Amino acid sequence: MSITTSGNLGPMILQSLAPAMLYVPTPTMNYITVCDKVSMPANGGTTMRFMRPRALQPPTIQLGNSGIDPPAQVPQRDIIDAQMAFFGTGCIINEQVILQDQEGVLAWVSERLAVAMRQAEDLILRDYVVSAASVINAGGGSNSDNPTNLGLSDFSLVATTLDTNNAYKFMSGIEGMDRFGTGPIRSSYFMLSSTELQTDFDSLVGQGVFNNWNYPTNSSSLPSEWGSVYNLRILTSSEAPVARGASANGQDVYYNTVCGKQALTHINQDGFSMNLIYRDPYYSGMLAQNATLAVKFAQAQAITQDTAIRNLISTRLSAISGP
Amino acid sequence: MAEYSRLASGKVLSVGGDTVVTVPFLPDYIEVSNATAAQAASGVTRAWWNKNMGQGAAFRNLYGTGEQYIDVLNGSIGSTAGLTDGTGFKTIQAGLSLQYGPAYYHLSVATADFSISSAANAVVDTVTDHGLVSGNVVIFSNLYQTASTGMQQLAGIPFEVTVVTSKQFTICWDTTGSNYTAFDSSTSLNNAGSFKQVLYPALYVPGSSYICDITLGATTTVETTAPHNFVVGQEVAFRIPSMAGIIPPVWGPSELNSLPNVLIPGSPIYGYVVSVTDRNTVVVNIDSTTYGAWNNNFPFLSFVGKTHPQIVAVGDVNTGGWPISAGSDLYPSPLVYDGFSTGARRTINGPAIQGAYINNTFMGFVIGSGVAGSADDVLFWRAYMSDKNYP
Repeated sequence: MSITTSGNLGPMILQSLAPAMLYVPTPTMNYITVCDKVSMPANGGTTMRFMRPRALQPPTIQLGNSGIDPPAQVPQRDIIDAQMAFFGTGCIINEQVILQDQEGVLAWVSERLAVAMRQAEDLILRDYVVSAASVINAGGGSNSDNPTNLGLSDFSLVATTLDTNNAYKFMSGIEGMDRFGTGPIRSSYFMLSSTELQTDFDSLVGQGVFNNWNYPTNSSSLPSEWGSVYNLRILTSSEAPVARGASANGQDVYYNTVCGKQALTHINQDGFSMNLIYRDPYYSGMLAQNATLAVKFAQAQAITQDTAIRNLISTRLSAISGP
Repeated sequence: MAEYSRLASGKVLSVGGDTVVTVPFLPDYIEVSNATAAQAASGVTRAWWNKNMGQGAAFRNLYGTGEQYIDVLNGSIGSTAGLTDGTGFKTIQAGLSLQYGPAYYHLSVATADFSISSAANAVVDTVTDHGLVSGNVVIFSNLYQTASTGMQQLAGIPFEVTVVTSKQFTICWDTTGSNYTAFDSSTSLNNAGSFKQVLYPALYVPGSSYICDITLGATTTVETTAPHNFVVGQEVAFRIPSMAGIIPPVWGPSELNSLPNVLIPGSPIYGYVVSVTDRNTVVVNIDSTTYGAWNNNFPFLSFVGKTHPQIVAVGDVNTGGWPISAGSDLYPSPLVYDGFSTGARRTINGPAIQGAYINNTFMGFVIGSGVAGSADDVLFWRAYMSDKNYP
């Protein structure tokens, strides 16, 4: 008896493409979240300029009865400049790829380019903050490094520093509710941290550190929000800045950017915030073989309130090994 | 017809080691001709590289000897006898910060070790070639000579190096204080001390710089551990932490801090740069005559969790762009000391107000120490990116 098997009558096409694409692991992008947004006008030169008046001296000396006016004050202002920069990337795709591939190449490459652009936007802000914001070394931890791992006193110190500097908090507090395991959340600055520090945060839960699932209501919790400690709400990302092996004891150094309102400003170029550019193969060579897909954008950034931002740098508990 | 290829050519002065050339693409072929070496009839007169050779490789022509090969690190072909792997050409994309070169430590290569001695500008001696050029930036870790002595006070700070010899460099940090103990990685605790190069220390400038010395007076002179990239008219703030219980106070002139402000509570006190002495020194218009003196001498074990003093750019009062110079554009880009040499290089962006926050990311290639000749050699280069490269 002859049985026809797939060995001698196999399917002509062996594979089926699953109907949906798999997700692309993408870090959360937190820096843009805390930015003020400003648009630089077209035909406005290369450099965006910000002006902040200085406070005048409060007249605390009484006039007396002399009839003489006190000395006049000279108003002053601070000026902050930021130069616009342009960025872009793209792909050259042969028409045979577009013609023959079963999936919509142009569609998903467009999507990838858009995400790459948004990620670039955030990474530029990240690296700018690493270089431009001043640093407070964590000293409240127990690992005898410089900086130490994050201790409760470090969260308190950096929030106190910003409060003393009269920074504005981002979030109003969350009032306590009669729900088991929850507690009121203070009005807060944002702290942008690495996901690698979540083990350290977890170890501090119950000591003033709240996971966002312990908020009375997490309706105001952001997607990347890990939780809260004292006057800080912690947003984490896997692309938060880490200086590998750069501490005094050779451990990784994490930049936890703590900021208030208007501390960091993102400047886009009016009409140039993002351009997705598709060029038909017609515009390539003699035989019109290659299409191009590209993104282009312009961006500048400035610390517009230096008193309202600090990089709280830390290591992490040495007992916990990395991924 | 070449449709997507890129071609560029130019001239650069060698820094005597890794010499950076900025081009707006990543080349797959590079060649360099050394006019100085050819004129002197000595040294490497020409070198070239193909992408398929790998990062750090090169062919080179040594005058009087002929062609030689530098392989990639631990490559399968191997370098010509006497040449060091990986010292040829590399392409670079300086787009993200916090990247470091390989660490130098006890036996990181055969016989490697280093020591730091007490000096007004700490002197670092290495047993093997350190491979740095003046202007590079390094950080140190694990400077424990014993469990309670050494130089951990300066660990974690980025320092620009001044190269004295191929086995010695200095950094701006006074280690003559009584609390500093000479460090030697060959005899130190667990032989754990190390240093490594910060590859891209100035991608965004101006920014925050660590301070290594402050001279008080009618104006205040500030020396930074690495290039500050400030300009005249830069508005700056100070962050001078205090350490309780140490006499004389560390770090000293905390009166420079922008806050608190006794006269106008809440209003930050800023200074303005009135003179730029050099890439690591600026003069600020704050009268500090009566302020506490600078002091970096604090007990070894107090290094734990201590914030270092900083000077931070917070604005500027300038209205104009960068001045022109011989050979520059009429509206030149800003100049940045970027950690590749002691010279400043122009950004690839266009003109900006002096003192503005600027982006200094770039791409290009490095002419490595095995092919760059001696400092100030005149190098003529060409770089190509082909329409098609066959690996």
